[in-house]
Amino acid sequence: MREPLRYLGVRGEPDPALLARLSAAADKLTRTVEPRWVWRAYPLIHGELPVLEGAGLTLPGALAARMLAECSHAVLLACTLGAGFEALLRAEQARGMDRAALLDACGSAWVEAGCDEVQAEISDRFPDLYLTDRFSPGYGDLPLSLQRDICGSLDAPRRLGVQVTDSLLLNPSKTVTAVIGLSDRPQPARIRGCGFCNLRETCQYRKGGKTCGA
Amino acid sequence: MELDFLHNGITILDGAMGTVLQQRGLPPGGKPELLNLTNPALLRSIYREYVEAGSQIVCANTFGASAPKLAGTGYAVDQVVSAAVSVARQAVQGTGAKVSLDMGPLGELLEPLGTLSFERAYDCFKEAAMAGERAGADLVSIETMTDLYEAKAALLAVKENTRLPVFVTMSFERSGRTFTGCTIPSMARTLEGLGADAIGLNCSLGPDLLLPLLKELCENTRLPVIAKPNAGLPDPATGAYGMGPEEFVRALLPCLEAGVSIFGGCCGTSPDYIRALAKALEGKTPAPRTYRAAGFVCSAMAPCFLDGVRVIGERVNPTGKKRLQQALLERDLDYVLDLAVQQEDAGADILDVNVGHPGVDEAVLLPQAVKKIQSAVALPLQLDSTNPEALEAALRVYNGKAAVNSVNGERAVLERILPIVKKYGASVVGLCLDEHGIPPTAEGRVAIARRILDAALSYGIPAEDVWIDCLTLTVSAQQDQARETLRAVRMVREELGLQVVLGVSNISFGLPERGAVTRSFLTQALAAGLTLPILNPNQREMMDAVAAYKVLSGEDAGCRAYIARFADAVSAQTAPAGPVSLTLEEAVARGLEGDAGRLAREALNTQDGLSLVENRLIPALDKVGADYEAGRAFLPQLLSAAQAAQAVFQAVKTAIAEQGGAPVKKGKFVIATVKGDIHDIGKNIVRTVMENYGYEAVDLGRDVPPEVILDAVRAQNIKLVGLSALMTTTLPAMEETVKLLHTLEQPPVIFVGGAVVTPDFAAQMGADHYTKDARQSVDIARKVLGV
Repeated sequence: MREPLRYLGVRGEPDPALLARLSAAADKLTRTVEPRWVWRAYPLIHGELPVLEGAGLTLPGALAARMLAECSHAVLLACTLGAGFEALLRAEQARGMDRAALLDACGSAWVEAGCDEVQAEISDRFPDLYLTDRFSPGYGDLPLSLQRDICGSLDAPRRLGVQVTDSLLLNPSKTVTAVIGLSDRPQPARIRGCGFCNLRETCQYRKGGKTCGA
Repeated sequence: MELDFLHNGITILDGAMGTVLQQRGLPPGGKPELLNLTNPALLRSIYREYVEAGSQIVCANTFGASAPKLAGTGYAVDQVVSAAVSVARQAVQGTGAKVSLDMGPLGELLEPLGTLSFERAYDCFKEAAMAGERAGADLVSIETMTDLYEAKAALLAVKENTRLPVFVTMSFERSGRTFTGCTIPSMARTLEGLGADAIGLNCSLGPDLLLPLLKELCENTRLPVIAKPNAGLPDPATGAYGMGPEEFVRALLPCLEAGVSIFGGCCGTSPDYIRALAKALEGKTPAPRTYRAAGFVCSAMAPCFLDGVRVIGERVNPTGKKRLQQALLERDLDYVLDLAVQQEDAGADILDVNVGHPGVDEAVLLPQAVKKIQSAVALPLQLDSTNPEALEAALRVYNGKAAVNSVNGERAVLERILPIVKKYGASVVGLCLDEHGIPPTAEGRVAIARRILDAALSYGIPAEDVWIDCLTLTVSAQQDQARETLRAVRMVREELGLQVVLGVSNISFGLPERGAVTRSFLTQALAAGLTLPILNPNQREMMDAVAAYKVLSGEDAGCRAYIARFADAVSAQTAPAGPVSLTLEEAVARGLEGDAGRLAREALNTQDGLSLVENRLIPALDKVGADYEAGRAFLPQLLSAAQAAQAVFQAVKTAIAEQGGAPVKKGKFVIATVKGDIHDIGKNIVRTVMENYGYEAVDLGRDVPPEVILDAVRAQNIKLVGLSALMTTTLPAMEETVKLLHTLEQPPVIFVGGAVVTPDFAAQMGADHYTKDARQSVDIARKVLGV
């Protein structure tokens, strides 16, 4: 429940009534919608910029270069709550925006939980390799325009029902794409803190001199 | 094309095109359709290999040959399709093999998930289908659909604009649903009703995992069934598909036992797979099929088999309901959706939708109401109108298999409505009356029912899709008729075996304690064979009577549903009750929607609506707003209070509609999510909160082009505009909108917000205000539109 509360901007000890309603929303969500994902590992070619061999994909920018510096492979992944979540959210909006906002926050947490599961699946598949943090288009200087290439390489429209719009939004909304490096050396945590967050300019936590803890 | 061979024996299709092209050098992300023009020899050799391997039908390389997918390539649909079909024709020449136009998804999501309209999707498919027929395709294969709505648009486009036979295959997941939640029975019965020639499953899974889904499909259709699985699942470490040709065929053969008769392959398969398949299927015949004939209606997500009592909710009908009449005249479809949602929550199985009222153009409003309700409610709908244009327009945009209410025994009516019912594969309600009125005896009504059934059969509408309404007359006016109605119910059920409909509540009109009479009539009618009672599901005692009947009839096995129903009731009763002395203000502050509505209705006995809003509701909302500002309350509480306020507003609106007065409205504002942005929850939150202060929203929706916003502002002389953007990529569209609005002589005040918007961005683009949350937007509205 910590994650959805954070998405809702709730600070301090939450009101028990709110917590109960949030649990009900989470319960309804996890009963009806499962995160689904696809991933694919590609060998990395290290030149001026890292290139994913077989995907024909170059990852521009300093972030990708730094994240993947010690990696032999990179995994592309896409994880989504799919159209099922959107239908549930539309139905909840018809019942009331208060319920919809709770569900929306739970959805954000649930798709991240899905990404954690993918990460575990990747670890199981490559027991001898170490994973970097996962990082996504829009983090640091990794351009959003990569959404289209990542979804294309993964055949995500066909295999997940995920589309990238002209303005580079992912639809369904609760969809995450990410890159994870695979290395034979342990990888430090590098993605941390406000520097990687798109909301840093207007964040209420930061304004209060705090962080959300993510 | 002669498709007779589909019905006797086995047909072999081809295997993959895309993955074969990738093996032969097409780069990932390359557009295979362009090869039709740049490398026809490669394609010719692949078609040829498939035919030599045993394919009787090959798909031309046109999966992505649609306007949205070819955009930016410099090629037109007609050009690509005609090249593709003519190359395939050359390849099959002299072999007897047929060429199919292949139509895949358009690559944009349809409404309500995406922004592509049903009508636009239809036009795109129409363009490709007509090009295919011109180029000499023998048939059309609509493939890899995951949205039943898109499959319907494609199927209608082919049926209405070509004379070609058409196959439709969809992609399901292991769960038995597609990405958009479509079920197998919904798919099968909707597409069969719309006139597909064969249906099936392709892509997504290997033959082993597809088998149980194919079995279910075979039970739900009389059409030939197609299986085109992948060569297993791709390995994420290498991208290779898991099954070789032998394993693929071994796993596919059991589909014969299920009755599948048309076989091919999808991703990962190749001519080798088809060769192995053709060899293994030689001399084999599919097992005979057992179709589950049953009354059925559905949305894509919710199949509804009529194998017991199913309640049709009657609330979306303006007869005698002033508040709904007003909403329809104002085209306030949110109110219609509210009524639909309440009935879904109350346990209705099907919803009747009637928007007929003087001053309402049903042909425009009925399809809009259908789209609106289906955007958030999964239940199947019964479209209630006597206007054939309205019915056709609504059936067209309906996602699933609907029912039509109604026809009667009059020949002219049957001839007008039944062809539409047949075309869209709907069920139809037949009223037991004709030009001579309602027969006074059960025998007379059954004779009309028989006539309606015969007429339906003559149009090719199967008996299970014909529902008979035996007509409830008011017992206080015609006391002998209750008995005749019940007799007619029994006779229609026993003699004709049809579904029986009755609007039950009419029975008690004009009597005191109507519920007692209605409930007793309902129970007797159910016992006589009524299967589809039309009633108000919000009346708990009616739904209780249905639940009790299902226990007694044995439909509710083990009384499980009944026990669950009342287990909930018991816990609700023992739950601690709220304070007895709860005030309206407290109810709003604590977000107690039900209490707020009830207290508002009570208050309206002594206080007028406007003063209730101004003197009690708004101060209560302000207090929550101030707590939110101070960090003592958070977004969920703010929204709960807004929700409770909405209940107060509904009470006020209803009271005003009953008295025929003018609605409470302060000032209008336009609100929109800018072009390119499709996620609108933030905008909806702002709208809800502002509406609860009495401001009237002109909500233009999401992905709204600047010109549309300008037009709305100009046409309605709007003083305040709120714009939302979620992504850095859509900030330019926001800026463009602001600039365009500033070209007006008296530009409106513009406030902007959304995840990535900052005060600096807002200032740079020339917006008047940056709003960090919904609460701030209210302060701006007060300044601009007045308190």
